Amino acid sequence: MTETIPNTAGVSITRQPADHLGGEILTVNFGPQHPSTHGVLRLIVDLDGEVIVSVKPVIGYLHTGIEKQMEALRYQQGVVVTDRHDYLSPPINNLAYALAIEKLMGVEVPERAQALRVIMSELTRISSHLVWLGTSALELGAMSVFMYCFRERDRVLEMNEEISGFRMHTSYIRPGGVMADLTPRFVDMLDVFIREMPSYIEEYEDLLTQNPIWKVRTQGIGKLSAEDAIRLGATGPMLRGSGVEWDLRKTLPYTGYEKYDFEMAVEQAGDCYARYLIRIRELKESVKILRQALDGLPGGPVNVDDRKFLPPPREELETSMEAVIHHFKLFTEGYSPPAGDVYVAVESGRGENGCYVVSDGTHKPRRVKFRSASFNNLQTLETMAVGHMIADLIAIIGTTDAVLGDVDR
Amino acid sequence: MKSRRKAVARGESAGDEWIAVSPAALRETLTELRDQQGFEALSFLSCVDHLAQPGSDDSNRFELIYELRSYQHRKVLRVRTFLAESEAVAPSVADIYPNANWDERETWDLFGIRFEGHPDLTRILMPDDWVGHPLRRDYPVGGEVVDFSEEHEMWETTPPQA
Amino acid sequence: MGVEELADSMPGVLLTTLNKLVGWGRGNSVWPAQFGLACCAIEMMHTASSSVDIARFGSEAMRASPRQADLMIVAGRVAHKMAPVLRQIYDQMPEPKWVISMGACASTGGVFNNYAILQGVDKIVPVDVYVPGCPPRPEDLLNALMILQERIKAQGIKPRV
Repeated sequence: MTETIPNTAGVSITRQPADHLGGEILTVNFGPQHPSTHGVLRLIVDLDGEVIVSVKPVIGYLHTGIEKQMEALRYQQGVVVTDRHDYLSPPINNLAYALAIEKLMGVEVPERAQALRVIMSELTRISSHLVWLGTSALELGAMSVFMYCFRERDRVLEMNEEISGFRMHTSYIRPGGVMADLTPRFVDMLDVFIREMPSYIEEYEDLLTQNPIWKVRTQGIGKLSAEDAIRLGATGPMLRGSGVEWDLRKTLPYTGYEKYDFEMAVEQAGDCYARYLIRIRELKESVKILRQALDGLPGGPVNVDDRKFLPPPREELETSMEAVIHHFKLFTEGYSPPAGDVYVAVESGRGENGCYVVSDGTHKPRRVKFRSASFNNLQTLETMAVGHMIADLIAIIGTTDAVLGDVDR
Repeated sequence: MKSRRKAVARGESAGDEWIAVSPAALRETLTELRDQQGFEALSFLSCVDHLAQPGSDDSNRFELIYELRSYQHRKVLRVRTFLAESEAVAPSVADIYPNANWDERETWDLFGIRFEGHPDLTRILMPDDWVGHPLRRDYPVGGEVVDFSEEHEMWETTPPQA
Repeated sequence: MGVEELADSMPGVLLTTLNKLVGWGRGNSVWPAQFGLACCAIEMMHTASSSVDIARFGSEAMRASPRQADLMIVAGRVAHKMAPVLRQIYDQMPEPKWVISMGACASTGGVFNNYAILQGVDKIVPVDVYVPGCPPRPEDLLNALMILQERIKAQGIKPRV
């Protein structure tokens, strides 16, 4: 018989009879509002003393109906909505959507646009990993790391603002190219950032990598074997932490990544510490890619020169009648990709983030589905957490790096 | 190869390879693709609603998509299957690809496709007492009506062309 | 005996000084309850970080438990599934309490006008300050806090009529 204790402060506790002396299973609700700043994730945890017997995630508390929303908006309007599902890496979401539309339309963007896309993707990867590092460290007690990481992230957001006008949801990468070209001030800011960032990464490593408390809390915790990672669809650092060499930027390159020289970060241990090492290495590799992209930035236009796809520049509207007609058609009806479906995946900070677009030949999509890395990474939670203690659950949730906006869409 | 005999059709869409099978042959095809052809991972599974007119009974209304990924061969393959509106039931593949578990719950929640053999087919994104399947094309977008706007009907009614 | 019962029993002249004192005390130590839902939560974290420091305005302690907080900053979009939880957290906060609705999604539903998102958190809780933006800059949130502080200081002992 189960005994239910009345609901107090949002925690519901039920007790089942003990099946061994001194043991009873306590069901605890790790509610949607809790101090780990990972968003609105709810976990129903069964505990035997302090040891976790089962974990059941309950999601949907941030379900936004983004996929339905995109069906009611035109293709170019949909770009702003794509920013907001994985809200820690908006340009990477934009990139997946833009690549999908371009693949459907059969267009190839110019080289300068590709390099700018790489620059924005890597800056975003850095800012996303900084949030992960700051919040994970904060949850395990290292509060200074949080302050340092957000200090650097402020600089990345200032660069975002310089190039696109927005700090976070830039909508910079659009189907057909990018929003606008770089400004000289952006180039200066980026140059200084690339020169100073390695010393900041060293600062984080000094604080954490050889820290005995950090090592005790993360080594051996949350082990995920390679087969489990593949079967459960985990990607990104979750997969590379278990020894599988898979990084979409290297294995199936897109938007010009094959031109840059960088290494894939892979570890064998499969625990939280290995994934931490991977993300630190990815920070360093991103800085390397940024240096190469900035130095080797090709000249040329930043958008595809197709008036049926992208609007003409404002100056042309004063002189050309065709420009006015194109502008009118694109802003009232919008372009219509040929009927068909396409799936494009890019590598975000969390793993494989993809966009599946189905077009029926009209100016609004029939279906847009976002393959979200966090949705699949979160399914590994039960495999990783069973057998550990409840305090380790915090480290394990942190290491999945789940963004609930992406999980619930 | 064996998969060609069972496939109903093959094709390519914007550079992506796909094969189409019947719902009955789905489990066999996916098991074979996983064990013999090296497609170890399921990237995602989802559904597309091809409703042309609200109220018409379409035998090919729901299309289930399974995007398979092979790490060793660096390939992707899309497997499609079509379901009729009156028979929106498909076999569950949660034992073949474990991450299909949540994807199938999401498809049930948002489209109303039942997966036979799924261990726990309950709503995952919508509240448990929600009525209706929101991503179907005959379900309105919802939200607030924007008065005095030319597009105010857009939110109350289904997306265009059903 | 709380401050409010004390105020009821005091003569008018002393009351204004007490009003000012209580308003000053409450206004300068507003403790937010962490209610970060989506993207605005990240900007709220920036407001708490070193470059835009919310701690110098008294909000150093972002309490995890609503029972120890007096301000709820609703940062992010509120889904219909989350709405009852939000109301429960609001009910668990002791009086006096205030609500800042941060961002377009919390204020009016934002970009998402659809079946899943509550079109404005003021449908379920009373809001004191709205902060527009998607997401608002950290300085915007700080401005909202300052506006709220002026209001708290003006309210004195009895915050709600």
